[in-house]
Amino acid sequence: MSKRIFQHPAESQTGKRYWRSLGQLQDSPDFRQWMQREFPQGASELEGNDVSRRGFLQFMGASVALAGLSLASCRRPLKNLVPFTKALEWSVPGKALFFTSVMPGRNGGMPLVVTTFDGRPTKVEGNPLHPVNKGSTDVWAQSSVLDLYDPQRSKEVLFGGKKADFAAFNKELDGLLKAAGDGAGLAFLTDGAVSPTRDRLRRRVLAKFPKAKWASYEPNGKDLELAAAEVAFGVGSEVVNRLDRADIVLTVDRDILGVEGDIASVRGFAAKRKVDGPKAKMNRLYVVENRYTLTGGMSDHRLRLAASRTGAFLKALSIEVAKLSGDKSLNALAGGLKATDVKFKDKWVEECAADLWANKGKCLVLAGHKQPVAVQALAFALNASLGALGKTLEVRKAVSVPTDSIASLAEELRKGSVKALFILGGNPVFNAPADVHWAEAQAKAGTVVHLSLEQNETSAKAQWHIPAAHYLEQWEDSLASDGSYIVGQPVIMPLYSGINSNELLAKVAGVDADPLVLVRETFAEVTGASGEYSAAWAKTLKSGFAAASASKTLNATLRGDAVAKAISDLPAVRLGENEFELVFIADSKVDDGRYANNGWLQELPDPVTKLTWDNAALMSPAAARKLGVDTGDVVRIAQGEKSIEIAVLVLPGHADNSVSVAVGYGRTEVGSIGKNVGVNVFPLQTTADRRFLTGVTVAKTGKRHALAVTQEHGALEGRGADLTRQATTQEWTENAENKDFFKKMGIDAHAPTNFSLYTHPPLDDVHGWGMAVDLNSCIGCAACMTACQAENNIPIVGKEQVINGREMHWMRTDRYFASEGGDEDEPEMVSQPMMCQHCENAPCETVCPVNATVHSEDGLNVMAYNRCIGTRYCANNCPFKVRRFNFFDYNQRSITDLYRWNLISEKGTPDSIQMQKNPNVTVRMRGVMEKCTFCVQRIQEAKIASKVLASDSGVVPRVPADSFTSACAQVCPTDAIVFGDIRNPDSRIAKLKEDQRGYRLLDYLNTENRVWYLARIRNPNPKMPDAARAGSASKGGHGHGGNHEHASSQNGGHA
Amino acid sequence: MAKSSVTLETPSELKRPALVNHDRSIHWVTENVSNIVESSTPKWWFLTICITSPIALMGLVCIIYQISNGVGVWGENHPNGWAWDITNFVFWIGIGHAGTLISAVLFLTRQKWRTSINRAAEAMTLFAVVCAGIFPAIHVGRVWYAWFLAPIPNTNAIWPNFRSPLLWDVFAVSTYFSVSVLFWFVGLIPDLATLRDRAKSRLPQIIYGVLALGWRGGNRQWRHYEMAYLLLAGLSTPLVLSVHSIVSFDFATSIMPGWHTTIFPPYFVAGAIFGGFAMVLTIMLPAARLFPQINDMITRNHVDKMAKIILLTGSIVGYAYLMELFVAWYGANKFESFTFFTARANFDGKGWYQWSYWIMMFCNVISPQIFWFKKMRTNYVVVFIVCQFVNVGMWFERFTIIVTSLAQDFLPSSWGHYAPSTTEILTFVGTFGIFLTLFLLFMRFLPMIAISEVKGVTPEADPHHHPKH
Repeated sequence: MSKRIFQHPAESQTGKRYWRSLGQLQDSPDFRQWMQREFPQGASELEGNDVSRRGFLQFMGASVALAGLSLASCRRPLKNLVPFTKALEWSVPGKALFFTSVMPGRNGGMPLVVTTFDGRPTKVEGNPLHPVNKGSTDVWAQSSVLDLYDPQRSKEVLFGGKKADFAAFNKELDGLLKAAGDGAGLAFLTDGAVSPTRDRLRRRVLAKFPKAKWASYEPNGKDLELAAAEVAFGVGSEVVNRLDRADIVLTVDRDILGVEGDIASVRGFAAKRKVDGPKAKMNRLYVVENRYTLTGGMSDHRLRLAASRTGAFLKALSIEVAKLSGDKSLNALAGGLKATDVKFKDKWVEECAADLWANKGKCLVLAGHKQPVAVQALAFALNASLGALGKTLEVRKAVSVPTDSIASLAEELRKGSVKALFILGGNPVFNAPADVHWAEAQAKAGTVVHLSLEQNETSAKAQWHIPAAHYLEQWEDSLASDGSYIVGQPVIMPLYSGINSNELLAKVAGVDADPLVLVRETFAEVTGASGEYSAAWAKTLKSGFAAASASKTLNATLRGDAVAKAISDLPAVRLGENEFELVFIADSKVDDGRYANNGWLQELPDPVTKLTWDNAALMSPAAARKLGVDTGDVVRIAQGEKSIEIAVLVLPGHADNSVSVAVGYGRTEVGSIGKNVGVNVFPLQTTADRRFLTGVTVAKTGKRHALAVTQEHGALEGRGADLTRQATTQEWTENAENKDFFKKMGIDAHAPTNFSLYTHPPLDDVHGWGMAVDLNSCIGCAACMTACQAENNIPIVGKEQVINGREMHWMRTDRYFASEGGDEDEPEMVSQPMMCQHCENAPCETVCPVNATVHSEDGLNVMAYNRCIGTRYCANNCPFKVRRFNFFDYNQRSITDLYRWNLISEKGTPDSIQMQKNPNVTVRMRGVMEKCTFCVQRIQEAKIASKVLASDSGVVPRVPADSFTSACAQVCPTDAIVFGDIRNPDSRIAKLKEDQRGYRLLDYLNTENRVWYLARIRNPNPKMPDAARAGSASKGGHGHGGNHEHASSQNGGHA
Repeated sequence: MAKSSVTLETPSELKRPALVNHDRSIHWVTENVSNIVESSTPKWWFLTICITSPIALMGLVCIIYQISNGVGVWGENHPNGWAWDITNFVFWIGIGHAGTLISAVLFLTRQKWRTSINRAAEAMTLFAVVCAGIFPAIHVGRVWYAWFLAPIPNTNAIWPNFRSPLLWDVFAVSTYFSVSVLFWFVGLIPDLATLRDRAKSRLPQIIYGVLALGWRGGNRQWRHYEMAYLLLAGLSTPLVLSVHSIVSFDFATSIMPGWHTTIFPPYFVAGAIFGGFAMVLTIMLPAARLFPQINDMITRNHVDKMAKIILLTGSIVGYAYLMELFVAWYGANKFESFTFFTARANFDGKGWYQWSYWIMMFCNVISPQIFWFKKMRTNYVVVFIVCQFVNVGMWFERFTIIVTSLAQDFLPSSWGHYAPSTTEILTFVGTFGIFLTLFLLFMRFLPMIAISEVKGVTPEADPHHHPKH
C-alpha cells in the first residue's frame, strides 16, 4: 500500500492531539469543566438589556471580595512548545499548504482552495481555476472555517440525549436494517446540498430498500423554482440565469445579487458593470422589490412593491410586452392570472416593457424563486416571449434530483408507517413550515436518527444524534453551479469523530463506508476515468474539479398549456391598502438558522440593514409612522391565532404595506452564541405561503428591544459628491474628455491645490502598495468583511459591545441612503467598502506620541502593536474612522464576561478557536489599536519569496505584478477590490488608479490616500419617469439628502 | 477773550482701597493665619473630610477597575475615542491655571491684592493638576507601558514621536507641575518658619522645621529669597500661557472639523483663566465664611477684582465662540460648517449634542455678564452662583469640543453617539473627592494665606501712606 493512504496514525502518548479523536479531551475533567464554564448552557447574556449595565457597586463589592479568593489561580499556566519528532511530508512550520476542496451548498458546491498551517485549516479561498468563482467566495464560505472549530459543535453520539458511542449506534442500525425488509418503514430526509456521491448512495439505498421514502428540505432552497421550471419546460429541468449575457435585467422580488442568487449570477452581473470608459457597454438593472436588497442597491431603476403584488406586476408587464410583440399567447397567459389591479408608478411598467422589448434576446426577467409556481412560470413565459430562452436564460437538466417534499413525508410519518427516520443534516423541527407540524410528525417515527454538525432542535427530539464531520474533515464531492464535478478533500482529521452523510448512507446501503472510496467511485462514474489513483484523479485533486464535466444545456421550449393550467389554478392574492403583508426573507448571515452559532456571522452587519445579532421587522418610515413605532419598538405581528413579537427596524425604501422579517433566528437548542438571538418567524410560515403572508396585523406592544446596528446614521448629509461619487452614463459621456470630472466633485471642486509644509521621508521602496475599489461593480455583499476577519484574527465583541459601538471589523461596507430633497420613501442606496486608506500623509501617524503607527517605505501605514499604549488619538484623527481599539481583552475573555473584574474572570481562548488563528498575524491584546494592514503578512510573504528567487543574482527583488492579493480583494465576488503594486506599471492597480473614474476620499485634506475609489455609473433609461433622479445621492450641496430622520434613527440601543 | 480766573488746588490724594481691612496689624496677621493651623480641628472639617475622602477612594477603586478590565468599562467607542477622560483632563488643567497666574503674572505686574489669595490659589492649582494628570495617564489602553512616552535612550533607538501634541502635553504638564510645586514651596518657606517658631509640641516643630529649610528671616536670606521668587515668577509666567496653548494643540493640530482651529491657543488660555478664577472663588468664598478671621484679608475688594477678571476672560471666550462660528461660515467648508452649525449649535435640528453647546454658551458667555454691575460683583452669593455656572460651562466647553467633533465627523457612516458609563462618571466624581480632600488637608496643616506677603500690604507696612503716621 502506498504511503499516501490516509489513516489515523497510531495514537501517540505525549503531546497535544488537537485534530484527532476527542477521546482524551473528553476524558479530561479540566477541559470539560472549562468548556462548561466558558459557555454555560442557557446563558442568555446576549439578550441585551439584562446585562448591559450591571449595578456598579454590586459587582464592585462582590469582585473585591472574590479577588482575594482567586489569586491562587493567577499563576501562568504551563505550556510546552514541542517540535515534530518526525517531519510531516509537505509540512513546513509557518508555511501555508493549500488543498482544493468544495463547500457543498444548495446552489451547488463552492470550489475552494483551503489554506492550512501545520495541518490546521485557517482560511478558505475560492478556487482560482474554476470558471464559476475564479477565486472568489462568499460570506458563508469564509465563515465556515469558524464552524469547523466551534467548541460547541456536536462531539459525541447521543442516545436519548445521553452519551453513547458508535458501536451502540451500529448495533442499533443493524437491527433497524434487518427489520426493514423492502424498506417500507424507512424514511430519509436530507438537506438540499448538492452531492453526486450522496445521490449515488441514494440510488443504492433505494435499490436495496425500494419502498423507502426519500425527501429533502431546504428552507431557503429553490424547490419552487424547480417546480416552475418543471411546469414550463418539463420534468427534470432547471433554469440557469446568464446575467453575463443580459444587457437589460429586470428582477421582481428576487435578490439575485444577494441571498437569493449565487456567485455565478453575481459574477455574471458584475462582468457587465466593468466599464473602462463612457463608451463601454453597461447593463441596465430594473428592480421591483418590497425592501431594499443588495440587488435594489445596484439598480438603475427601482420600484418598491409589496411582494404579494409580484404576480400583478408580472401580469401588467407581460400584457405590455405582449402589446409590443403581438404575442397573443403571452397576453392570454398573463390575462389568466388572477391578481388585483394595482396602479404602478407612472409609465414604469410601460417604459420597462419597451426597454425589454427593444433588447429582445439580450434581456432577462427574474421572478422571486419563492413566489408561487404559477407566477414564476409566467415569468418564464415572459422570458420566452422576449427571446431570452437559450440566451440569457438557459434550461438544463436539473442538478438536484426530484424527491418527495417534507410535507408528504410528514403525512407518511403521521400515518405511523415509518419505523426508522434518518435525518441527514438540516433542522426541520426548527425550520419546517408550520403547517407541516414536523415535530409532532417526527415523534411518530419509531426511531429517529439525526446526523448533524451541532446539537439542534431536531437532535433534541431524535433518539439518536450522530455528530457530523465538517466538510473540511471528510471526503465529499459536489457539483458547481455550472455542473462541473468537484472533489472535496479533507484537510484535517475529524476533530470530534464525526461522520458524513455518505458514510452513514453507505452503512445503510451495506457498502464499504470509506468516504474516500465512496467519492472515488463516484468520480469514476461521473468522469469515466478509473477510480483508482489515476492521473485523472490526481489532476482533479490538484485543480479541484473535473474539467469537462460542466453540464450541457437543453433546447427547451415553453409548455404553454401547462403554464396556463398552473396560472389558472393559482388563487388570487389580495392585499388591501390598509393591510400588511409579512415577507419571509432568507437571512444574509445565519441563513435558515444553520449558522446561528457562528460568531463571525452573527456579528457581521447585514449588508443593507447593518443589523447584527438579531433579526427585526423591517418596514418603511411611512408604515412606522402609521403604527406609531420607531426602530427598537417591539410590534406584534399576527395572523389568526399565530403571532410573534419582534422589534422594528425602519428601513427607507421599503414598501409601505409590507413588513419583512429574516428567518433563521430565535434558535433555542444551539450553542451560547446563537441562543435566543432574534425571533423565530418559521411558526408563521406555511407550505402555501413560503414567501409572503397577506392579511397580517401589526400592532405596537409598547415594549422596547435594543438592536445592535453598526451604522447609526444612514444619510449622506449632502456629502454624496465628496464620498460616493456617481454619474449617469449620459453625464459621463458629456464629460468624457474631462480628466478631472470625477476628481473635482463636491468640496474638491473648489478646494485650493494642496501643498505640504512638511517634507516627508521618501517612500522609496521598489514597491508601493495601493488599492482600488470599483463602486460600479461593488454590490456591498460584505464578503470582504468576513474574509478580513478570518485572515486577520479579528475578534468578535458581542451584541452589547456592538451597541456600544465597539465592533472590531477592520473593514466595513458603508451603506448610505440618499435622495434629493430627503425623500425617504424612494432613496437611492450606495455601498462603499471602507478600510484604512493608507494615507501617505497619514493624520494618525503625526499624533501618535509613541511612534506606534508609522509609515513603511513601500507605502503602508503600519501599526506596531507592541509599541502601542492606546491613547486612541490616532483613531480620533482618522478622517475615515477605520481604526479599531481593543476596549477589552476580547481574545482572552468571554464576550459575556467582559465587565467582570479581570482578576476573577476566566481567561483564555478555547483550543479549537486558537487553531483557527492565522499564525502570521498577531493576536492583539486589550488596550491596543488595530486596523487594516493591507494584509501585510501576505505582502511580506510575497517579498520574501521574490527575495529568495532573486537570491544572489544581484537583481533587485521585485514581486511580480498581481501575483498575490489582499484577503478582501481575493474574496470579492465581483472583483471590485483590486490590490497591488502601484509602482509596477504592469499591475492592474497602476492602471486603475489612473482611471478617469478614480478619486480619493477627502482629497482636500492632503492625506494622499493609497486607496482609489472608482466612481459609480448609473445607467438610467432616459424615458423612465424617475430617470432624472438617478445618481441623486451624489448631487447637490448642503441640506440635500437630509431629513432622513428615520435613516438616522437607526441607532439601535442608543435611543 | 476774557480771562477766567481759575484757582488750581492740590487735588486730594486718590486712595487705593485698603487690601487689609480694619487697619489690622502685622501681628494680627500672623496670629490669625497661624491660628487656623494651630487651633483644634473644627467639627465641620472632620465632617467634610469624612465625605470627601470616601469619594476620593471610590474614584481610586474605579480607576483600578478600569485599569484591570480595560478602557471598555468607560463609555467610549468608535468614533468617540476620547470623551469624559480628556474633557476632565482639560477641565482640571484649565482650573490649574489660576493659581500660577495669580502668583506669577500678578506678582510681576505688581498687583498687590494677589497676596492674600495666592497661596490658596496655588495650592488649588497643584491639586487640580494632580487631578488632571490622572486622566491622560489612565485613559491609555495599556497604562503599564505609559513609560514609552519618556524619551529614554534604548538599543532599538525608538523614541517618542516628537511631532505628537500628546507628547508635548506630557512635557508641558509635567514642567508646569514641577515649576508650580517649586514656586508654591518657595513661597511657603517663611511661613513654615513662622509655624515652626510658634509650634508648641515636638512633632510640628520637627516637621515644619525640616520644611522651613532653616529659614531664619535674615536680611540676606530675604534678599536671596525674593530674587528666587522673582525668577520663579518669571519662569512660571510663560508656562501659564504655554500649558494650555499646548493642551489646545491636541485639538488644533488635528484635522478634525471643530478641532482644527488656529484660534484655539489664546481661546484656551483665556478659558483656563476664566475657569481657574471661578474655581478659586468657589473654594475661597466658603473658606472665608468658615474662617471669619480671614475676612479682613480676603475682602470684597478681592472678590470684585476676581469677578472683573471673570467678566473679561468670559467675554474673550465668548468672542472666540462667535469667531469660530464666523470662520466656519466664512471658510465655506461643508464639514466645518456642519460641525459648528449642526453638530454644535444645531440650527437645523440634526445635531446630537446641542444641549451641551448651549449650556456652554449660557454659562460661559451670558452668565458672567452680570458682573458688569458692581453690586453683583461684591455680592458673595451672586458671585458664588455665577462661579458654579462657569465651572459647569467650562466642563461643557471641553465636552462640546471633544464629543461633537468626534461623534459626527467626515463620514456619516461612522457617526456614533456617546454616553458615559457609571464607572466613568464615578471616576470624575472621585477626582473632586481627591481635590477637596487635598485642599482640606492643605487648609488644616499649612498657612492658607501667605503670612509674610500679606504683612507687606498691611497699612502698618506702609508708613508713608498710613494715616496713623
